[in-house]
Amino acid sequence: MTAHILVVDDAATVRMYHRKMLGDAGWQIEEAINGVEALEKVANQPKDKPFDLYVVDINMPKMDGYTFVRELRRLGHVPQAPVLMVSTEAQTHDATAAQDAGANCYLIKPARPAELVLTAALMLGDAAASVKAADMHLRNGGRA
Amino acid sequence: MNSTELLDQFILEARECLEQIGQRLLEVERAPDDKALLNDLFRQVHTLKGNCGLFDFKPLERVVHAGEDLLDRVRNGTLAYNAGIADALLEAMDYTGELIDLIAKEGNVPAAADTRAQALAAALRQHLSPAGVAAAVAPAAAAAASAASAPVPVPEPEPDWLKALPAAVRQPGRVALRYRPEAECFFKGEDPWHLARQTPGLQHLQAAPQQAWAAPEVFDCYRCNLLLTLVSDAPQAYVEEHFRYVPEQVELHLLQAPPAAAPAAAPAAVVDDAVGELMRGRIVRIWDEQRALLGRPGIAAGTVAATHTTFNHLLACWADTTAASSARRALAGLAPGATPLAGWAVQYHPAAASTGDLPSPSAIVAPLEPRRGSTPAVADEAGAGANGQKVLRVSQDKIDRLMDLIGEMVVAKNALPYLAQRAEDVFNQRELAREIKTQYSVINRIAEDMQHAIMQVRMLPVGTVFQRFGRLVRDISKKLGKDVSLVIEGEDTEADKNVIESLADPLIHILRNSLDHGIELPAVRLAAGKPAQGTLRVAARQEGDRVILDISDDGAGVHTGRVRAKAVERGLIPADRADSLTEHEAVQLVFLPGFSTAEAISDLSGRGVGMDVVRNAVERVNGTVELSSTPGQGTKIRLTLPLSMAVTNVMMIETAGRRFGVPMDLIVETVRVPAEDIHHFKRAQTVVLRGRIVPLRALNELLALDMPPRLNADAEHAVLVVRLGAETIGLLVDDFHGTSDIILKPLEGVLTGITGFAGTALMGDGSVLMILNPKELV
Repeated sequence: MTAHILVVDDAATVRMYHRKMLGDAGWQIEEAINGVEALEKVANQPKDKPFDLYVVDINMPKMDGYTFVRELRRLGHVPQAPVLMVSTEAQTHDATAAQDAGANCYLIKPARPAELVLTAALMLGDAAASVKAADMHLRNGGRA
Repeated sequence: MNSTELLDQFILEARECLEQIGQRLLEVERAPDDKALLNDLFRQVHTLKGNCGLFDFKPLERVVHAGEDLLDRVRNGTLAYNAGIADALLEAMDYTGELIDLIAKEGNVPAAADTRAQALAAALRQHLSPAGVAAAVAPAAAAAASAASAPVPVPEPEPDWLKALPAAVRQPGRVALRYRPEAECFFKGEDPWHLARQTPGLQHLQAAPQQAWAAPEVFDCYRCNLLLTLVSDAPQAYVEEHFRYVPEQVELHLLQAPPAAAPAAAPAAVVDDAVGELMRGRIVRIWDEQRALLGRPGIAAGTVAATHTTFNHLLACWADTTAASSARRALAGLAPGATPLAGWAVQYHPAAASTGDLPSPSAIVAPLEPRRGSTPAVADEAGAGANGQKVLRVSQDKIDRLMDLIGEMVVAKNALPYLAQRAEDVFNQRELAREIKTQYSVINRIAEDMQHAIMQVRMLPVGTVFQRFGRLVRDISKKLGKDVSLVIEGEDTEADKNVIESLADPLIHILRNSLDHGIELPAVRLAAGKPAQGTLRVAARQEGDRVILDISDDGAGVHTGRVRAKAVERGLIPADRADSLTEHEAVQLVFLPGFSTAEAISDLSGRGVGMDVVRNAVERVNGTVELSSTPGQGTKIRLTLPLSMAVTNVMMIETAGRRFGVPMDLIVETVRVPAEDIHHFKRAQTVVLRGRIVPLRALNELLALDMPPRLNADAEHAVLVVRLGAETIGLLVDDFHGTSDIILKPLEGVLTGITGFAGTALMGDGSVLMILNPKELV
């Protein structure tokens, strides 16, 4: 079964980048432009096809990433999937705040393709994809 | 990964961001305490920077990054917004725009751009430094230094300090870094130890003195003597990013993978080992992140569930399947809650055996202070996103193509009446001719609707042009020492894209004129009993199928005495004529080509190119300009423009056996004038129409066609009365024909230089119609 990822970011360029990277790894991608839209997508997602991973930006209009994850974690009726926060904030307090909101992992944007795909693969439990991404990571001299 | 699609998206979004940023910067200047505005501004810059990071546009990122850092400080209140910051940001964003244009054109940023980028970034960073002006020289020097010694990874030779690192931390792929803070760094508000400790993915950190510690009696505790060496397993880019303020003080090395791990040539087993090692490392990292997460106070049940899932998934990727399955069994039998899960995570830790001697990343990160001001931005209009209209973004080329196509369609459908005529005349098929005509009327209606719909798509609010005025007025008035407030009204009024675009230059010229010549210096204004602040008003509204733009100021008005004198002095009109002009007529003299009242040519309103340039630009899109002025009270300029200029309605006329088109909106009326009613006065001809004297010109003569005007059977001349600005003039032609909608194509190539013609149009029967431009003819 193809894993289903929701990418939440207000920057269209970043959404396209994530869609390309994660989509090429074989997963199905949905997009939302802010927390509000993301929560709607979560609510409207068919019960038998919930999102398996959320890739979330922090600084967004209307509802930021922290608030979105906090709201998501409050939803009782949807299966709780891992959240990967991706943000340009390289400060430790942002990573801590992401944890406080309920995010499972934190990557600094721009996450290099192999880094992003490897982390996503591990969080999705997709062993084949993770081996492929790790291999790509190494072939690119660790810089991917 | 510079795929074209992504790059296009990047450019599109970057331009949007820049436009927003430019606008917000001006707004912030007016309301520097508006938190929401500052946040919005910051987010735009932040988005732009984030997007830049996806590409390798170093100069671009450098500038935007510096801007973001500066705005971050303004946003969280540690730095007060001032005009200096605004100037630096505006300048930086201008340059960013230039770079984006370069990227759009060439797909890349030339390396040479980095010099300017560094200077701009340094100018921005200068505001960050608490010492402010005192440190003004240092960042520039630092920028210059970092240009020479940017932290580019140098693979070899390995310096001694690298070799001195403990073997356990020298793992391939990791980044080793030596940080030598400057002695004066404490005075710049830097905290080297804190900075080093905050390094992402920190695995190892050691400190040593740069030089032997001085004796206590001469020891200067305000000078930094630290030499920090650290190793991180984060990607190099993150480490570089972390040390971005002190690039010249940092020496960075990417620890090399053993030669066996080189791509392709490496034996499969070795690569697999490396893959396994890397994966294990990442699993451990994510594992530790989950443990740290479980340790956070007040963790939500949902988060615990997600963490549980994450652990399960990590196990699925775990190479040691036996260990993984026993861990999974234990996980499945776990009691709910964070504590049992945390205990399990320690017990089944994948790196429990081998990496115990290394501090885990979370162990370093954990004791840090909680995030300050962590109130999340609550959704202000939570519902708006749901009900908002869906907007489709389409590139301009596609719309233009659509417009061209409908233009061709309009022409093609016009062939049907000719066809019907032929069916009847040549083949005597009256029935078929009628059917063709019926079909034509259907197609005609659809084509018209379609044309209207496409034109609707091309409609833009005139505000898109107004946006840049704020900046313009601010810059110019500042330069001139004037205080001017810009009032914009009706920016939602819509007009065709081409009309709007043609507006930009004339409007800017008018604004400049107003600022330069119209509005007086504050002292002069006060002396005249006016408020020190001048007002410049730009108002747009729609009237019928025209857009009216009023640009008015409350300045000194046009000095008619000076205008008259200037016009005479420049030989534009004779002195006696100048004196007999009314005030209103005198004001209009500024439209004469080559007229400029500016005593000294200023660099603001151009090199004395006057209002004639404005008038030409406006008339090119079939618009008109009117100017009125009251001395001491101000000047008002009114531009009247068509809503759209895609399709032109022309009347066809015939003269000397040829057909020409004349745009309908210039035509006042068509009349037949008996030959004897035409008055001859010297070489001039006139006729009295509705009590007004209308000068007449023979079109044949104007077109240098050597034939006298032809009279009809009743000895009448066909006179086409056209409006040229404020005047009317009669053109003697041979005959009138019907009107037609045409797509006007401007003269191109070798024909460009021909005056007297607005362009050509392809007619339904395949012939080409020349469209006259009476303004140039007469």
